[in-house]
Amino acid sequence: MRTSQRPGESPWTYLLLVAILIPFLFPLFWMFLSSLKTQVENTAYPPVWVFRPTLNNYHQVFIKNPFFMFTWNSMVVAAGSTGLALLLGLPGSYAIARFRRTGIALAILTARMAPGIGYLIPWFILFTKMKMIDTYSALILTHLIVALPLVLWVMIGFFEDVPAELIEAARIDGCSNFSAFLRVALPLVKPGIVATAILSFIFSWNNFLFSLIIAGFKTRTLPIAVYNFLSYEEINWGGLTAAATIITLPVLILSLFIQKHIVRGLTLGALKG
Amino acid sequence: MANEIRAHKIRAGVSGGESVSAWSVFVEDHPVLLFTLPSVAVVFVLMVFPVFYTVYMSLHSWFASSLTAPEFIGLQNFKRAIAQDERFRNAIWLTIYFTALATALQLVLGVALALLLNRPFRGKGFFRSIFLMPMVATPVAIALVWMMMYNPTLGVVNYLVGLVGLGPYKWVSDVRFVIPALAVVDTWEWTPLITLITLAGLATLPIEPYESALIDGATPAQMFWRITLPLLRPTIIVALLFRSIDCLKTFDIIYVMTAGGPGFASETLNVYTFQVGLFYFHIGYACSLLVILFALVLGVSLILIKVRRGTW
Amino acid sequence: MRMARLVLILGLALGIAYASSAQAAQINWQQFKGTQLRVLLNKHPWQAAIEPHLKEFEALTGIKLVVEVYPEDQFRAKTLVELTSGASSMDAFMTMPGQEGLKYMRAGWYQPADEFLKDPSLTASDYNWNDFLDKARDAMVVEGKLIGPPIQIENSALMYRKDVFQKYNVKVPTTLDELEAAAKALNGKAMTDDGQPGFGFVARGKRAAATSQFAGMLYAMNGTWLTPNREPAINSEEAVKAIDMWGRLLRLYGPPGSENNHWYEASSIFSQGKAAIWVDANSLFPVIEDPQKSKIIGKVGYAVFPKGPNGHPGGTVAPWGLGIPKTSKNQKAAWLFLQWATSKDLVFKVQTEAGVLGSRDSVWKDPKGRAKVPADLAESLAQGSKTGTPLWNPPVVAVAEVRDVIGNAIVTSIQGGDVKAAANKAAADMKRIMAETEGK
Repeated sequence: MRTSQRPGESPWTYLLLVAILIPFLFPLFWMFLSSLKTQVENTAYPPVWVFRPTLNNYHQVFIKNPFFMFTWNSMVVAAGSTGLALLLGLPGSYAIARFRRTGIALAILTARMAPGIGYLIPWFILFTKMKMIDTYSALILTHLIVALPLVLWVMIGFFEDVPAELIEAARIDGCSNFSAFLRVALPLVKPGIVATAILSFIFSWNNFLFSLIIAGFKTRTLPIAVYNFLSYEEINWGGLTAAATIITLPVLILSLFIQKHIVRGLTLGALKG
Repeated sequence: MANEIRAHKIRAGVSGGESVSAWSVFVEDHPVLLFTLPSVAVVFVLMVFPVFYTVYMSLHSWFASSLTAPEFIGLQNFKRAIAQDERFRNAIWLTIYFTALATALQLVLGVALALLLNRPFRGKGFFRSIFLMPMVATPVAIALVWMMMYNPTLGVVNYLVGLVGLGPYKWVSDVRFVIPALAVVDTWEWTPLITLITLAGLATLPIEPYESALIDGATPAQMFWRITLPLLRPTIIVALLFRSIDCLKTFDIIYVMTAGGPGFASETLNVYTFQVGLFYFHIGYACSLLVILFALVLGVSLILIKVRRGTW
Repeated sequence: MRMARLVLILGLALGIAYASSAQAAQINWQQFKGTQLRVLLNKHPWQAAIEPHLKEFEALTGIKLVVEVYPEDQFRAKTLVELTSGASSMDAFMTMPGQEGLKYMRAGWYQPADEFLKDPSLTASDYNWNDFLDKARDAMVVEGKLIGPPIQIENSALMYRKDVFQKYNVKVPTTLDELEAAAKALNGKAMTDDGQPGFGFVARGKRAAATSQFAGMLYAMNGTWLTPNREPAINSEEAVKAIDMWGRLLRLYGPPGSENNHWYEASSIFSQGKAAIWVDANSLFPVIEDPQKSKIIGKVGYAVFPKGPNGHPGGTVAPWGLGIPKTSKNQKAAWLFLQWATSKDLVFKVQTEAGVLGSRDSVWKDPKGRAKVPADLAESLAQGSKTGTPLWNPPVVAVAEVRDVIGNAIVTSIQGGDVKAAANKAAADMKRIMAETEGK
């Protein structure tokens, strides 16, 4: 077998791929399956594979918990932090790429190394004193801590790909720096923007630690809701997996549609720098 | 550059005929400053201030009471952690153990997977989408599902290993297995990232070395070890770097699945710091632990960056 | 004519007497009309029972209630964080003095309620403070100051499968030795509704969470947390015996993975019929009698925590209560809420509607008040509340940390490790922590 091209695909390859796919998908499959079982079926051992599915758990999740509110909160915070991160980060990453300020790039990587709790404690104390706990602004600001470095880091790679000559040409034609950025560079990195925006949205959506501490009663996000299922009642596996499914479904679907962009975003960040 | 443009504009009579104000000169002359100012300002406020606060507080003793003020105690927190706090030493060890185990597993599996996926076959995009799923799924939700699967009496994992004759295990309730069990979850989640990064790296590999190796009669194994791996090294190191940083700081899955238990058998430094800071409210001590954790992450990163640079 | 005048005077006099006595009994519930109160509650049967009635309070007083509910661990963290910041906007919160009373009182976070209770313009004369059970009342007083009213009371108690005990002819244990014998005898016997075998004993083992229930066994063995001069006593001979026994019961007769079990897991195993004995807080009984989730409804017996080898009573008694933060700007209005929520009327309602184990003696004496509560539970509660010790957690400032340290020793015991060494280590850690947090 050569590592270079081979005309036909061997059936072994497919077999191997499927063999790999199964363990990868199994937890997600199990999560979904359990969400359709009753409590009795969920606590049966050996596990039940064939059963009559019920939507009761989803019903319970929405009735007993304000899941619409949680979803809305998650959306507002994710969209807010992503939008803000793009607004601030796009010009920044453009400048860093164009003018080769690699020092700042390294500084951003360093920022990524710091443990989240280090930000959390001072921010929590500050927000509490400013009575900003349980506000969207506080949550969006804390999520920026993850989103902004992400935007900067990934977009630097994309902006570096923009040929310098195009920018020069635009400048010579009389474009201001900002114009060149807006009219020439940005359109060229649209795929990158899409990838980054989606990645940033997903990470904000999934964020647990920050929301746990900063969010209040009215601004609780979905991960907190799921965690709350381990509550004063017994382990409600049906409800828990239903909630888990509801939370992960949007990001799973999102990722399916734009996998090409995400891959490029993730890997570009790795190859450059 | 800006001067030439200005001169050009004036000659060409462009840009609305306004006289070049001092402001627009400033804008032209300082693109880096203005473009990066918003993000730098935000980063400074959001991230630099907490870092200073953390370092500052690490030198104090404060129990977050609104009655007693922080008390300056110099390096005592650090001394206590390193010399007296057994739970801290336990945490450092567990952090390293978990990170080493998880990253090793992910690296081997991820690279192997990438090599497999590098062959041509139909539906590549589809498979890539599937592989993305563990990475984007909400960690908290995933952790709870795994907890369910790991349940010693009712979980499906024990059922499946039972099918091949292996006894039921306590998994995350067993001090011997808890770290490996958690590492498995992390591996499941993040191996795809390594795969993707490696795939991107593989795509940039030159053909010539392989062609000449084939001519020289090299076996596939030799080609892998002597050509592919060395060429992939920088890519793999970068993947290792990212994953190490994240593994050292893993929080969500450990906190949700075991809260550091059983006992303290899975209490990595991050989880311990969370307990100390946001549960016991020893703010000063927690800050010193954070400084140490950050130093650890920085140290590992620097080593890896150096290793990578060394190959150039 | 004279008669008419007499009647009139009499009528007037009666009227005045009635009016003034009504005034004496009633306070002006509307005196803080228009205020808004932010109340933090733990997700708990009491909270679930009182929530449908909150509208009545709003109607009565014209005060708007903003209620936030969190699951227990998060609730504790949230209230702690708010109080710590010194800038909290909470007006009232559920509190368990046995757990955090000392810490909060010393930090100056509670607004003592003694003055409110004595103030006739704030407290109705029929509130009847003495109606609350003795131990419950006492537990709400920390360092000589009253935190607030108790809302419910619970014991660390023995809950068992009557049918299983009957089937295998095992005596319901009243001493610890009998407890172990029963657990051993019933372990592995068929006990689920489809004839599957179950465990002899199930209880909490998860580090800090286990300490409050383990406390019952500690006292039964005549051990305690601290000596009279506040030295750790967790490594005394008696304490070590208790730690050893708790771990042994779970290790030999309990489900695997007990060291990770909080009461959610333990109650789940028990209510699925998979265990013969469950030791935990008896206020959790609604969970195992919930028709939607439990398979053992009507089969559960409730008993007092077994006595120790010297006939020493075990078990704990602990109330949850309500408190007012010192930083609240609506303290008096908050007191109205505390009062209303624990008035005889409300206690009666939550007890009869939801089986909350209220802390008013008069409600317990009322046969209707006992309707929702199984008879043996009511009895064992009354008994246990007299003999139980109110300290179900070590009375220290750094409760969370000390609980973790002691819990770790319990986990070691469950795993079959060296209990004496673990207890010694726990004691040493306790000493260090106490020196740091209480030293001055």
